[in-house]
Amino acid sequence: MPESLALLLSVAIFPGGAFALALGLGLKGIDRRVAARLQRRVGPPLLQPFFDLIKLSRKKTMVPDAACRPLFLALPAVGAASMLLAAALVPIANVYLPSPALGNMLVLFYLLVVPGMVLMLAGSASGSPFGAIGFSREMMLMLAYESPIVLVLVAAGLRAGGGDGIVLSLSDIAAYQQAHGAFLLDPAMWPTLLAFAAFLPANLGTVPFDTPEAETEVLEGPLLEYSGAPLGLFKVMSALKAVVVLNLGICLFFPATPDGLLPGLGAHLLKLLPMAAGVTLLRVSMGRMRVDQAFRFFFKWPLALAAAGIAAVALS
Amino acid sequence: MSLIRTLSSRSPWLYRINAGSCNGCDVELATTACIPRYDVERLGCQYCGSPRHADIVLITGPLTARVKDKVLRLFSEIPDPKVTVAVGICPISGGIFRDSYAVCGPIDQYLPVDVNVPGCPPRPQAILEGVAKAIEIWKSRL
Repeated sequence: MPESLALLLSVAIFPGGAFALALGLGLKGIDRRVAARLQRRVGPPLLQPFFDLIKLSRKKTMVPDAACRPLFLALPAVGAASMLLAAALVPIANVYLPSPALGNMLVLFYLLVVPGMVLMLAGSASGSPFGAIGFSREMMLMLAYESPIVLVLVAAGLRAGGGDGIVLSLSDIAAYQQAHGAFLLDPAMWPTLLAFAAFLPANLGTVPFDTPEAETEVLEGPLLEYSGAPLGLFKVMSALKAVVVLNLGICLFFPATPDGLLPGLGAHLLKLLPMAAGVTLLRVSMGRMRVDQAFRFFFKWPLALAAAGIAAVALS
Repeated sequence: MSLIRTLSSRSPWLYRINAGSCNGCDVELATTACIPRYDVERLGCQYCGSPRHADIVLITGPLTARVKDKVLRLFSEIPDPKVTVAVGICPISGGIFRDSYAVCGPIDQYLPVDVNVPGCPPRPQAILEGVAKAIEIWKSRL
């Protein structure tokens, strides 16, 4: 297969594109079902996010008079496209190795910033005061959780470098762990793991860190004015983002899988489920943090843990 | 096409408009119809905070003169296809506020109402049945 075609397939079909979207929506369905069961409810069907998406594609799209029309309509597409690309960047051990032409950890980090930027711009482009509040909250929260994740990526890169500098390729980090054991079982990496665990719900925008899109406070903030297909694209973006971030966690801390394509993929999916369930458990058992509380929290614990993680890696 | 329509009709999002209600029906909508026992999420429903995300509009209250223009504007902000459910006796006939100088209802003089759920306030089961009927109507409009 020519190189360019393989790249296209990895972005559009597997592991990005169609596969990641189906996986993300499936995880979202499981999340809603588990949350409902934890509240002793019946809950929606597992395929509910798919129904929502199909429904949104058939609704009329409305653009407010106060909005900046081209920006308002282009942003959801930019966000979804960035996550489509990011999903093809994360390796799945024994199943998928991203081509070096797609980029390394730094590219992934920049792509992970895009959804937050898109939400901020969407909030301000919609011309709604709730969007503006969502904008400022999203910005605060991003500033707070970006610094720990940078340190987490650096710590994993340094550990995989084994004393001679930093490894920037996620495939190499996964390969190092397959040869030397997973970072999950490496005590020097545990502070980093905790910092990543705090980053996860903040990046996914779930309770307790869903302040920018708080339904009961700012009526979903940046998404307030969106309807129809553009809103559907935002749902696609968040579903893909969940897959990217969870895949990244698996790749950074526990990439080991059995040999072979199908067993490897099955083991990967089995690892995704408890992570997603953990996020759901956190979501139903906590209240929402105020944005200043979240800001202070991230500059206290995850940042300290991530810094301690780097120190531990440097010392060991 | 009919498959897509059937699948779409399984995702009705609910939006509440209070057109000057005494809050009795709103309590029924917000708490009773949402507690585990009457879980509307099993029908695929989801309460949404923004009129732009809404499919099924639940209106309570007799449409007082003070909120009339705002309710009409809010209703026009909801993208098509949509279905309107009048919850409680007030939007249907004015209820105990009928003939008051401050009330403009009944609400179907201004908005197309598809389903009436009478009661003061209606029982949660009645609200759920009203929502289920509204989903059927909505399906034919998708």
